[in-house]
Amino acid sequence: MSSEPTPADAASTDAVTTPGAVRERLDRVTDPELDTSIVELDYVEEIEIEAAAAADAGDDAGDEVFVAFTLPTAWCSPAFAWMMAVDAREAVESLPTVARAEIELRDHMHEREITRGVNERLPFEEAFSDADGGVESVRLELDRKARTARQHDATGALLDAGLTREQVAEVSRSDLEFADAPEGRVRVWVRDGAVAVEADAEPVERYLEKADATGVLDDEQSELFRTPEEEPFDGDEVELVRRRTRLAGVNMGGQGTVCDALNESRHAEDRPPLSTREGAPVAPDKEDRADAD
Amino acid sequence: MYVTDDGEEIFVIDSHLHLWDASEENITHEGGEQFIQCFYDYHTGFTPEEKQWSLDEYRQYGADRMADDLFGNAAVDMGIFQPTYLNDFYAEGFNTIGDNAELAERYPERFVLNGRFDPRDGEAGMRELERQKEEYDIQGVKLYTAEWNGDSKGWRLDSEESFEFLEKCSELGIENIHPHKGPTIRPLNRDAFDVADVDDAATSFPELNFVVEHVGLPRLDDFCWIAAQEPNVYGGLAVAAPLAVHRPRKFGEIMGELLFWLGEDRLLFGSDYALWNPDWLVETFMEAELTDEQQEEYGVDFGLETKRKILGENAAELYDIDIEAKKEQFRSDDVTEDFGLADHYADAAGTGPAPADD
Repeated sequence: MSSEPTPADAASTDAVTTPGAVRERLDRVTDPELDTSIVELDYVEEIEIEAAAAADAGDDAGDEVFVAFTLPTAWCSPAFAWMMAVDAREAVESLPTVARAEIELRDHMHEREITRGVNERLPFEEAFSDADGGVESVRLELDRKARTARQHDATGALLDAGLTREQVAEVSRSDLEFADAPEGRVRVWVRDGAVAVEADAEPVERYLEKADATGVLDDEQSELFRTPEEEPFDGDEVELVRRRTRLAGVNMGGQGTVCDALNESRHAEDRPPLSTREGAPVAPDKEDRADAD
Repeated sequence: MYVTDDGEEIFVIDSHLHLWDASEENITHEGGEQFIQCFYDYHTGFTPEEKQWSLDEYRQYGADRMADDLFGNAAVDMGIFQPTYLNDFYAEGFNTIGDNAELAERYPERFVLNGRFDPRDGEAGMRELERQKEEYDIQGVKLYTAEWNGDSKGWRLDSEESFEFLEKCSELGIENIHPHKGPTIRPLNRDAFDVADVDDAATSFPELNFVVEHVGLPRLDDFCWIAAQEPNVYGGLAVAAPLAVHRPRKFGEIMGELLFWLGEDRLLFGSDYALWNPDWLVETFMEAELTDEQQEEYGVDFGLETKRKILGENAAELYDIDIEAKKEQFRSDDVTEDFGLADHYADAAGTGPAPADD
């Protein structure tokens, strides 16, 4: 989003990749169904950094980073797992000191296809020959949900700062000013730019990230905040829209709870092995082939 | 019945029960093994440790064990069976109306036996639905849109074929439609649990009630929004209720949302037995509360009268069950004989709360 240097960039200008810097990049990757960082969710199992040999130092030289991660269940949606793996690779490779990131998904029913596909930079539909299509529509659907949920905190911050409901409904991207505002604050210009109100910047920035990803920042309407269907709304609808955005957040959190519990039972010591039943019948397509002989 | 410390009696209708067979002999496809193991993860993930079953017990528990779990400590007064066939995974089906009938016919006054249809079965499926009505007089159907059937990995409630079956339900007086819309279960396709197709079906068949099982999780937002607009859409709390065990705060939030969007008259308690066991779940549900903060945020009531509706009265309304008459009948029915519940119901069938001392 922003091209301004972040603290992590600053720290890495000495041309050394630190585990902390890698972790900070991975922290920006979310589980798309929960809209929560994969670092916070504890999915990241291992980070290894192999420094570039001094002799190789050239324009395209850089460190190699290996990241391994695990999901709460072995049958988590392959599309979601794929998105996380791709995002993790891109996030780590965005560090200026990193030449290449290698990602490994562990303990998943499709770990091989995903690990191979992501590292070989294949499109999803090539990594999975029986996929119905790419992951882009799935990603968009989840980005929309995340946008809706994040809007709750963003509008909450603006209401807390004293904006009226009408002002919240009308605010546009160009009414926001981050650059000259104090640290951690955003200025929101209201009354046709006559007055600025300061609000907590973080929820607004988080919202902008998903507003951008879903395209509501550059459609034909100027309103920053929308209904879940991406329509602008009036001041007297703010209450209802806020109830819906609250609901979107509760849903994501509820699913997070389910994943969390499954994760615990999966890693319980006495858990029977997953589907390694002796003499397990083969899938019907293989049977068919056997029958055809 | 659940009896509170103050002597208040709550008549419990568990609206979501199974009598399944996932024994290794019955499994014909790897999917069947994955399915039961996935269920088992949900079981252990949301069951207090001392109440957890072994995987072997879980595969096939049988009618006697089930009766004991439901009635042994009078956790449940009545139950509604919801069949799940999965014929592509299990030789004799996973949890068929025939399996369920074994217990339902032993204690007919205690159970409602639901049927099912699969629109992909065409004319044969239509005949089967008629047979279920004729043989068991079913008043409801459980629908499993994520079920595999040959090459198909799912179906939609708003498809033309599905509408033909819903039409038939309407004709036959099968009024309660229970689509399963809940968490993904391996190896079924996540998108086949999408709740969006309920909207059109509910609008097109206002004479039918659509009880969305598992309240659409992980699409609670879509579910609530549809239910807020369609008065004949209900929420079945199977899966949601056990969150109260280890995640009471999250459970409170979800209940807050459900009560806010649907109100207290359109929610039905269900244990999803044997996923979870009402012998502890009813109590957990009764003891659950919203935090003060949640109370304020949602402005809803989750007190005794709301719980009474969710635990029994709302299901009674949908299935024409006269709770007072049932209490009377249960003073001496077969369950009461077999499980020694005469005192339990004798007290219950009294004249209500004891009069205060003068």
